Amino acid sequence: MIFRRKLLAVFALTVFLSVGGVATLVLIMTRRAFEQNEEQRTAALVAQFQREFTRQGDDIARRVGEIAASDAVSRMASAVAGPTPDLAGYFDAAKSLAESRQLDFLDLVDAHGTIISSFQSPAKFGYPESGFENLSAAAEQRAFLAQEESTDSTALGLFAVRATRGFEHPVYAIGGRRLDSTFLSTLDLPADMRALLYHNHGDRFSREWLIGPQAGNSPDAHPADRFEPLVDAVRKSNQEMTFKISWSSDQADDELFRAIPLRGLGKERPLLGILLIGASQRSYVELKRHIRASALLVGGGGIVLAILLSSWAAARVTRPVEQLARAAQEVANGNWDTRVEVPGYDEVSQLADSFNRMTSELLSHRERLVQAERVAAWRELARRLAHELKNPLFPLQLTVENLVRAREQSPEQFDEVFGESARTLLAEISNLKSIIGRFSEFSKMPQPQLQALQLNETIANVAQLFHAQLQAPGRPPIECRLELDPQLPLVDADPELLHKAISNLVLNAMDAMPLGGTLTLRSRREDGHAVVEVGDTGTGLTREERERIFTPYYTSKQHGTGLGLAIVQSVVSDHKGRISVQSESGRGTTFMIELPSSVRDARLGN
Amino acid sequence: MKRIGWLWLVVSSALLASLAAETRPQYGGTLHVAMRTAVSSLDPADTGGVDSFARRSLMRLMFDTLVTMDESGRVQGWLATSWQASGPQRLQLRLRRGITFHDGNALTAEAVAASLRSANPSWNISVDSDSVTIEHDNSDSLLLAELALARNAIEKKMSDGKPSGTGPFQIAEWQPGKKLTLTTAESCWRGRPFLDAIEIEMGKNYRDQMLALESGKAEFIEVAAEQFHRVSVDGREIASSAPMELTALLFSREATSPDDKALREALAYSVERNSIRSVLLQGAGQPAGSLLPNWMTGYAFTFSAEADLNRARHAHAQTRSNPTWTLAYDPNDTVARLLAERIALNARDAGVTLQPSTNATADLRLVRIPLASANPSLALTALASATGLSVAKTKSDSVEALYASEQALLATRQIVPLFHLPASYAASARVKGWTVNRDGSWSLADAWLENRQP
Repeated sequence: MIFRRKLLAVFALTVFLSVGGVATLVLIMTRRAFEQNEEQRTAALVAQFQREFTRQGDDIARRVGEIAASDAVSRMASAVAGPTPDLAGYFDAAKSLAESRQLDFLDLVDAHGTIISSFQSPAKFGYPESGFENLSAAAEQRAFLAQEESTDSTALGLFAVRATRGFEHPVYAIGGRRLDSTFLSTLDLPADMRALLYHNHGDRFSREWLIGPQAGNSPDAHPADRFEPLVDAVRKSNQEMTFKISWSSDQADDELFRAIPLRGLGKERPLLGILLIGASQRSYVELKRHIRASALLVGGGGIVLAILLSSWAAARVTRPVEQLARAAQEVANGNWDTRVEVPGYDEVSQLADSFNRMTSELLSHRERLVQAERVAAWRELARRLAHELKNPLFPLQLTVENLVRAREQSPEQFDEVFGESARTLLAEISNLKSIIGRFSEFSKMPQPQLQALQLNETIANVAQLFHAQLQAPGRPPIECRLELDPQLPLVDADPELLHKAISNLVLNAMDAMPLGGTLTLRSRREDGHAVVEVGDTGTGLTREERERIFTPYYTSKQHGTGLGLAIVQSVVSDHKGRISVQSESGRGTTFMIELPSSVRDARLGN
Repeated sequence: MKRIGWLWLVVSSALLASLAAETRPQYGGTLHVAMRTAVSSLDPADTGGVDSFARRSLMRLMFDTLVTMDESGRVQGWLATSWQASGPQRLQLRLRRGITFHDGNALTAEAVAASLRSANPSWNISVDSDSVTIEHDNSDSLLLAELALARNAIEKKMSDGKPSGTGPFQIAEWQPGKKLTLTTAESCWRGRPFLDAIEIEMGKNYRDQMLALESGKAEFIEVAAEQFHRVSVDGREIASSAPMELTALLFSREATSPDDKALREALAYSVERNSIRSVLLQGAGQPAGSLLPNWMTGYAFTFSAEADLNRARHAHAQTRSNPTWTLAYDPNDTVARLLAERIALNARDAGVTLQPSTNATADLRLVRIPLASANPSLALTALASATGLSVAKTKSDSVEALYASEQALLATRQIVPLFHLPASYAASARVKGWTVNRDGSWSLADAWLENRQP
């Protein structure tokens, strides 16, 4: 990953984490605020329920008191007090009295607790009223919660007991109202809250005992069975509890219920009902979603903005670095005179300045080096010329001295000596010419005439040319092995120069194998280049020889000019190729010429 | 003094004349009747399996039977003037002459035979010029009692499909189950009735009937037995029949095991009939330990109607199972619900669990069965038939045979008698001359409307 992208990623991550952190913090604070709000609202609703409970209880007590004080009940009390009370005519008295006071329940019982008339269970006349240990004490109490059982149903109600006054054996009016959907409807609930009532009847949870604010017992479309764990928990613990119910996969449908046990009269205060106050989580979840969406939006926008700003900042920061990198690349490519701008005085500018000074130093060093190498080359050339010329000059000197001596000392043999010396002189002069010719040839290396060339053909021609020499009698045989890649690409090359270069390499190989061996001519395709390898199984090169082998006029041979491989390198270089050598002492040497494939070949897709 | 005496005489004469005018029958007017039963067919033979006092009453307005039963239970001639046995189990009835149907056709022996065959397909009936002969497998007295039933009234189908009878009123408008308008049959052999027409609204519950009576929309209504005393206190014209309706618990199946029988026995003993009668029925009717009322048989008092909780609990203690029985009652009958709930409470005291229900399919039902006839043998046979119970047929009309039959029916424990209730009716003070028959039906054939406004 490049420096600019890294910088960009760091900037973006920083913004993302910052926005995410802020959003999370806001969410946590929102949730806490909502929880506190829910607590307050639920507490308010519970207080409202209790106020409504008390208000309704007082209202019921008042109505029951009115019934107890009514003429009809007084007449009943008088009849009860008679010697042979005939109460059959009163059995349906409770109905009209209850209906006139809008009560759901009304039992009129005598002092012994025997039912004279019952509104909700008319058939119960003559039966003892159940659920009251002391009617006279109950008549002095405020309204209370009780369970009313009939032959086919059981109901939860708010009851009050009142007695007729002025009679030794009073008649008690036990009246009440059903705690049902109507009662729940009287609760003034916020829009996203609701109250349900579970009538604790039987040993197990039953949906029929769950009362909602709507008409009928069905609380709503939600399955009532979901309340079972909450109801069971409250029944077991007999304490207030909170429970969340998920109605669907959508969290917005969740409701948080607070269950409040409702107890009846008596020493044991039995659990008669459970008030369930539910608060919808929709507003909270929607707010949470809104915050999350906002956080995502702001975060996304922030990230985009951060990317843009980071791009700008990173570009501003990294541009000098990139310039430095490019300049370094140029220097690596040999353009040592590359310079970079020094815009300011910061660390990067100092770095750029140092770079410029470094390249200047390098350039200076290189020029000095080139100059030194040139001097060295001239010295080497002089040494080689001296060496090369000294060899033929010494026989020339000897021959001339021999002629002079023969003229002076043996004139009779002068002609014979002259003839022989003349041949020797001519031969050595020819040798001198040859030496001068090779130097001249190296200095006059022609420019290559490029054409699309199939290297394999050139290699095969070279092999054919040297075939006879390799197998010449009187010298140890050298086996020539051709390993040519038929997929070798065309190269743009001068056939003659390339033939000459490869021939030089073959000659070198032959010189390296005085005792015979194997000459390998190989071609192969590598990374779109054509590679020609010329290998021998000779004595190999030392490390110093490998390093200096392409230096002009350097030779490791007794009679070499040191120009062969220099010419090969010159030819390869003129073809925009590269030559290298691999050698191991005692194992042989392999020269590798790498040439770019022909433009035509590239167009053909090879 | 003389002058004062004359004046007193004139005033007294005028008062007497006006009183006489009020009590003298008056022709004309339309009587509005409200009834609870929704009669769906006016064909006497087509009872639809349901008998009711209302249906009997309607039939007697439009149709006549060959014989009728008087207040003492004796058979009297009606369309038939006389009858005689023409052989063993063969009764010949001679028809009254000069009687015509409402459509003007004469009442003939063939028409009578056709009508009787329609109501009794199993009877073998032959005709003579002015008599019909019926072959039967009962006693003659039982056959005559059966001929007195409303379902054996003589009818003739008119060309438009309406039934035509010989009674004092004929059909003017008929909306099955809703409304029936009858007009006077001018040529009735019994003479023209006083009323011009009778409009009968059907399907009205007792409360609506009472409201209709109080508002003047109806002049004649049915009264629930338990309301009889309360209505009579209000000073209306009111009358009841003899206890002719049996209220009972009817099991939907026979007792299948000793446990089942013991539980039914426990239930029968647990019901506080006297308490229920005095409170829920407000003293109406009689607690019943037997199927037929005591006035009909004379032996009903031997079947105890007292609750005996100890025996009930003892019977229940003999059982090993304690099923929950459902007790069905008529949801349109307000007192039936109370009765069912009270019986359930009583049963619970004995350990028997009853669940009152309005579901038609239940283990037992609270039923009200109008007794078919004042003839006890015929009433018991019809009762058994109506409840799906089987009763052994006897040739004898003796009380011993009747008692044995009834005891056998009760021993099945498939029916638990509760009460015998009368049929009660109330009319506005304008309606005069109406009567309640012994079989629970009402008779408006001789009724008339007083002109004064209520």
